[in-house]
Amino acid sequence: MGSRGGDYRGPKSREKINPSGKDRDKNPAHPAGSTGKGMYITLLMSQFMSGLSQGMMLFLIASGLSLIFGVMNILNFAHASFWLVGAYFCHSFWLLMKDYGFGLWVSIPLAGLVMAGIGWLIEVILIRRVYSRDLPEQLLLTYAMFLIIGDIIKISWGVEDRLIIRPAGVAGPVFFFGIPIDSYFIFVILVGVGVAIGLWFFLKKTKYGHIVRAAVFSREMVSALGIPVPRVYTGVFILGIFIAGTAGAVQAPVGSITLGMDMAVIIQAFCVVVIGGFGSLLGTLVGSIIVGEIYAFSILFWPQGALALIFIVTAIILIVRPWGLFGTPMRV
Amino acid sequence: MRRYGWFLGLIFILALILPQVLGEFWVHVAVEILILGIFAVSFNMIFGYMGQLSFGHAAYYGVGAYITGMLMVKASVPLPICLALSMIGAGICALIIGYFCVRLTGIYFAILTMAFGQLIYYIIFKWYSFTRGDDGLQGIIAPPLLFSANAYYYFTLLIAAAALIVMWFISESPFGYTMRAIRDNADRTRFIGINVRKYMLINFVVAGMFAGLAGALWGPFNRSIAPDLCNWHQSGTPVFMTVIGGPFGFLGPMIGSVIYTFLMAFVTGFTEYWPLTIGLVIIFVVLFLPGGVLGFFESRMKGFRSNASKPEETIP
Amino acid sequence: MAEEVILKVEKLNKAFGGLKATNNISYKMTTGEISAIIGPNGAGKSTFFNLLTGYHSVDSGNIFFKGINITNWPPYRITRLGIARAFQVSNIYPRLTTYENVRQAILSQQKKTLDFFTPAHRLAKKETQELLEITGLSQQSDITAGNLSQGDKKRLELAIALGSKPDLVFLDEPTAGMSGEETHETMELVKRLNEEIGLTILFTEHDMSVVFGYARRLTVLHQGTVIAEGTPEEVRTNEEAQRVYLGEET
Repeated sequence: MGSRGGDYRGPKSREKINPSGKDRDKNPAHPAGSTGKGMYITLLMSQFMSGLSQGMMLFLIASGLSLIFGVMNILNFAHASFWLVGAYFCHSFWLLMKDYGFGLWVSIPLAGLVMAGIGWLIEVILIRRVYSRDLPEQLLLTYAMFLIIGDIIKISWGVEDRLIIRPAGVAGPVFFFGIPIDSYFIFVILVGVGVAIGLWFFLKKTKYGHIVRAAVFSREMVSALGIPVPRVYTGVFILGIFIAGTAGAVQAPVGSITLGMDMAVIIQAFCVVVIGGFGSLLGTLVGSIIVGEIYAFSILFWPQGALALIFIVTAIILIVRPWGLFGTPMRV
Repeated sequence: MRRYGWFLGLIFILALILPQVLGEFWVHVAVEILILGIFAVSFNMIFGYMGQLSFGHAAYYGVGAYITGMLMVKASVPLPICLALSMIGAGICALIIGYFCVRLTGIYFAILTMAFGQLIYYIIFKWYSFTRGDDGLQGIIAPPLLFSANAYYYFTLLIAAAALIVMWFISESPFGYTMRAIRDNADRTRFIGINVRKYMLINFVVAGMFAGLAGALWGPFNRSIAPDLCNWHQSGTPVFMTVIGGPFGFLGPMIGSVIYTFLMAFVTGFTEYWPLTIGLVIIFVVLFLPGGVLGFFESRMKGFRSNASKPEETIP
Repeated sequence: MAEEVILKVEKLNKAFGGLKATNNISYKMTTGEISAIIGPNGAGKSTFFNLLTGYHSVDSGNIFFKGINITNWPPYRITRLGIARAFQVSNIYPRLTTYENVRQAILSQQKKTLDFFTPAHRLAKKETQELLEITGLSQQSDITAGNLSQGDKKRLELAIALGSKPDLVFLDEPTAGMSGEETHETMELVKRLNEEIGLTILFTEHDMSVVFGYARRLTVLHQGTVIAEGTPEEVRTNEEAQRVYLGEET
């Protein structure tokens, strides 16, 4: 999907010619030049940033997935589909406000809010009916949602790719010690970090967050305290979908928006949650970065193998430590 | 099951005369129903009987398809031998993958089987020199004897019937009951002397072998195969069929195959929105028909019976 | 009468987190014994059984059965060697019929579970019916086990354990939830099995009349340690045992 950081090289004029390797070594602040080592560092850095941005995108999706699973024990197969719908909504809103420079910045939160509303509807109509069911039925329900949403996107928005043209402020690269980094990536990373901090704060420091964490631990206890557990579930689901939808909107300008993006992404999100550990925020963050960087760096030495590598890592984790890096060890 | 004997006999007779009364299109549909039905019944050996959700069963289906496809195209090996080799190959695959998967249960088992399924998909996809990757393998021609639609139908019917009978015997054997025991209470089963992990692996391999058989039949039928046969979309198909038909009766998945395949053939005739359709059907079944079609009819029939449920009638 | 040691436990230790559930326990049983372990809730009785049957790993110590060191063996291997267990909370197959439940244990013991092709309903008919009769479950033979009464579930629990043809059986509160008559029937059966086929039995109970009525040797456990051991009479007069346990009973 879209462009990876590796595709973007600085304009030729930035590649200074450095005849003497000695000079460069003496002066480490010298911007990376066109000699092998310098270009290599440029490449690594931009791949790293690309991976970080990809990781943050995955984090935004996986955090909702992990939260919903941790609290309600439902593995939402359709999570990336909501993400994609968020992207489409963002595009539609942006299209309406195309003539205004701030169009994108309004579309993103607007799309998020719309998705939150949709999340509420879905929870009320469908999700709450399967809380008491077994895993296979829950998975099938969300899988069916994935299928349905895929076709609904087709019906509503058609089959053509959609492109959001970035506003001037974030269209080009910024230079970090001479290394070009896509400025929108910085934005994505900032959003990801913001959401991570926000979720952490919410769960650890606010009363509602404490209720959510208690519900993970024991629904009976929460309900015995007089707190309506169904409301907690609804709230958590809405939150998860809101984050996913906003993530989709944020990710929309990175490349083009295409049908079927949700399919590849949901599998990666599953891998993230497995690697990091279900229900652990830190785990999801770490897992996302790991997967994102695997994706970015495998382009360098095994371009076709990114996803295979991710599956291998996931399989290894499941075999060696099924509860993930930061999950709670348990009998499996 | 024994009570339904006469009913099954009737169905078989109907199946035999089917090509004589229906056009070629529906004969093709019937072959597809049989092949996917075997695939789904093999899946249910792990799901309904052993209680675990395998989301990567298509790996063995695909491996079986590719073994037969490649042997026929590249070496002109006779079809019956290809079928046997496909079963063995798929079984070996299931042995290696299953060794790791049976250490887990529940959602971890589901995800690990899916991860391995995707790995197999990628191996076939990327190994262009061997498998022709994304281009797929074309030109898998059935032997002249089985070339016509009707002939291949009867061939498939024969193999499918044989496979079903074998799987039926397995399900009613001590091994089959041990699977149910593992499903209902794995801990207790350890305490009566069963090495649960070993038995789960054996079941996984046998199920994989029959999935491989189904895949092997698919190649000559479809004339071509592609890596897609292994991915998680394909793995979802037997899950749908089993849930629609009912996981707790032996023939549930086959009934599911009839409904699913027929529906797909019908719906794709006038709309491209098949995923939407099947998605709605799944939601309907999950919410309102928890035991699938079979479960629905069983609970209806219980109302007509005066005596207590006999062993065959209860959930196996 | 042969007085061979069938079970020997040496200095068994097990801790969960900071909690010492089993504290240096040593124990011995000779073939053909009926003995009981008693102690207040949390004394470590179930943990002891769990360690002996391979459900938990031991921290240190050894377990010998028929002279073989079975420490940390997996449960299925221990069962094959000849130890069976009836659980405190009925651990049956709720979706199979009573008949199928018992048959499963028997088929496993007969090593027929890798048979892929013989219809199971033809196998082990006699043995299953016998076992059902002995445990008084013949009437409930065709009922789905999940629908049995509590007392019947306990009997089924015992039947499954016996189906493994054990030399030593652990009964965890075998008469819990049973009426006076059922209790008597169950324990008479246990006693008969002990006398007729020399089955060695170790049980735990809270019903003191059962303990004193059927156990020939008694061990009192408290906080993971053995605090008294001997014949029921000896234990009854033991002060420490009285203080810790029997005193609580009234």
